[in-house]
Amino acid sequence: MIHTENLTFKYHQKETVFQFPDIDLNQSENLLILGKSGIGKTTLLHLMAGLLKPNSGTVTIADVSLQSLNSKQLDKFTGKNIGLVFQKNYAVRSLNVMENIQARLFFCKKKVDNSAITNLLQQLNIENCKSKKINELSEGQLQRLGIALSVIHEPKLILADEPTASLDDKNCQAVMSLLLDQAKKNIANLVVITHDQRVKPLFQNILEL
Amino acid sequence: MNIWKISIKNLFHKPLYTLLSIISLAISIGLLLGIRQLDTAVKQQFDNSLGNVDLVIGAKGSPLQLVLASVMHIDNPTGNISYQEAKKISKNPLIKTAVPISYGDNYKGYRIVGTTEQFATLYEAALDKGQLVQKPMEVVLGYTVAQQLNLKIGDTFLSSHGFVDNDMDVHSDPLTVVGIYKPTQKVIDRLIVTNLESIWEAHDHENHEGLNEHDDHEEHEDHESHKSHNEHADEDKEITSLLIAFKSPMGLLTIPRQINDKTSMQAALPKYEVERLFQFTGIGVKVISWIAYIILIISCITIFISLFKMVKERAFDLALLRTYGASNFQLIKIVAYEGLLIGLLATVLGVIISQSGLFFVYRMIKEEYKQTILQNLSYIDILQTSLWVFVMIVVAITLSILPIISMNVSKILSNEK
Repeated sequence: MIHTENLTFKYHQKETVFQFPDIDLNQSENLLILGKSGIGKTTLLHLMAGLLKPNSGTVTIADVSLQSLNSKQLDKFTGKNIGLVFQKNYAVRSLNVMENIQARLFFCKKKVDNSAITNLLQQLNIENCKSKKINELSEGQLQRLGIALSVIHEPKLILADEPTASLDDKNCQAVMSLLLDQAKKNIANLVVITHDQRVKPLFQNILEL
Repeated sequence: MNIWKISIKNLFHKPLYTLLSIISLAISIGLLLGIRQLDTAVKQQFDNSLGNVDLVIGAKGSPLQLVLASVMHIDNPTGNISYQEAKKISKNPLIKTAVPISYGDNYKGYRIVGTTEQFATLYEAALDKGQLVQKPMEVVLGYTVAQQLNLKIGDTFLSSHGFVDNDMDVHSDPLTVVGIYKPTQKVIDRLIVTNLESIWEAHDHENHEGLNEHDDHEEHEDHESHKSHNEHADEDKEITSLLIAFKSPMGLLTIPRQINDKTSMQAALPKYEVERLFQFTGIGVKVISWIAYIILIISCITIFISLFKMVKERAFDLALLRTYGASNFQLIKIVAYEGLLIGLLATVLGVIISQSGLFFVYRMIKEEYKQTILQNLSYIDILQTSLWVFVMIVVAITLSILPIISMNVSKILSNEK
């Protein structure tokens, strides 16, 4: 359940003012946002994630307006309710796979449920990497760890920024089906921004910027 | 998972940086602590060794040498003075105790001092075992001497000439141990105490023995306290020096001047001379302290650089933690804990370095100078040095967290490619 209204954003020291169409997703609805680079896709995603403050307009997630929260409340709210997936999936390099997941849960104040973690890692087929360091993981394993980190805390909204851009067709399919699958399991909204046309057939809702 | 664990993991992630920071900081802390402690300990040792000796009278020469030789027993004496004259001075009403001492022999490097019974009162030394010296060739040992040489009451030994242990110049008359003093932490601990007659007899006797003895004496004339005597009359007797304790400070004002101006002897004030000595050695202590402070500053810069690098290089990691729900304050805590952990480990290591360093220095001093210095860990020094380190680290942390405060999570995350 995410709802945006009259969002505009202007970067400091830049002329362009981004104006975004309203987004309105009900429970379990997914959305694909397509657009060329430079059109403000990532900006929109960061506005929805609460990482940027809009010049005007509001973002409402699960009936809570991000603009009504102070910065500390915003940190906690977005940490708890949003899962972010990046193009190159990063995890904290000084921690191993398991510790990254524990840190993820620690910072959003969720209890560590070991069987749930094992279960998720099994679904993503990285259960045997639990105690591996981040730099020991393959590209594909890292990608799947990124997905794990974005859903382990059972968020209401999963935001993915170009999750398939650097992947071949086969892996593109695999990653997208994992993301859709996890969104479904968590009863979360999945919003994917991309310029990757291969993803198009997987979504009913498509927004072209 | 908690903040501490993340900080520790971060430290282990760059073990070389961490190690470098800890070691350089620990060395400066160790140096600072070590030099301070050594300085205080040596000063204490000197002040303590002086006992109740307010004034020392001896042959003319360097007053510092006189004090080092007759009070500290670490230098050679300036020469001899007449026992007769010394006795005259002792009658001054301002003087509480005047103790004549005469020395020139040693046993295994420990000096043998001929003196009167009052000698022990200057150092408040009581007998631990046995009795005081009753007749010539009897000795009472200082505590350290008895311990180190493993001598017991009833044991006998042969003393040798001069202040260095040697087999060449051994006296033929054996000395018998009749008593052992309790430990005092003063100079008497490492002295072998006998009466004046023992010293006089040993050397008179020798003089009758061989012709080559004369050459030997010439050779040592400057260094040694005693001269041979053919007569036993008190008038011709010589002693090395006279140790004096005053009844009132008035004595300090009149007697030294009287002696320096009107006699062929000199009077030296031990406290003043020792203070003067520390003014020379103080420069060395200061230089080493400054070097230690410079290393301290450099190591804190190292810590700052490694923390700052961590914040810069791992900007993405930190931004990621922010999206997990971490507040800015939690990120600052991660960095601060890293700095504090380095500081804490370095302080512990620094204390260990200083203590083990001092242990070896003290052992060397013990072997070279027969001085036992108590290895007292000064908590004030540790506290003061830790405070310095703490302030430095807080400054390093404060500077390195500035990028976190102005961190733009969105920008860092959108530049991930």
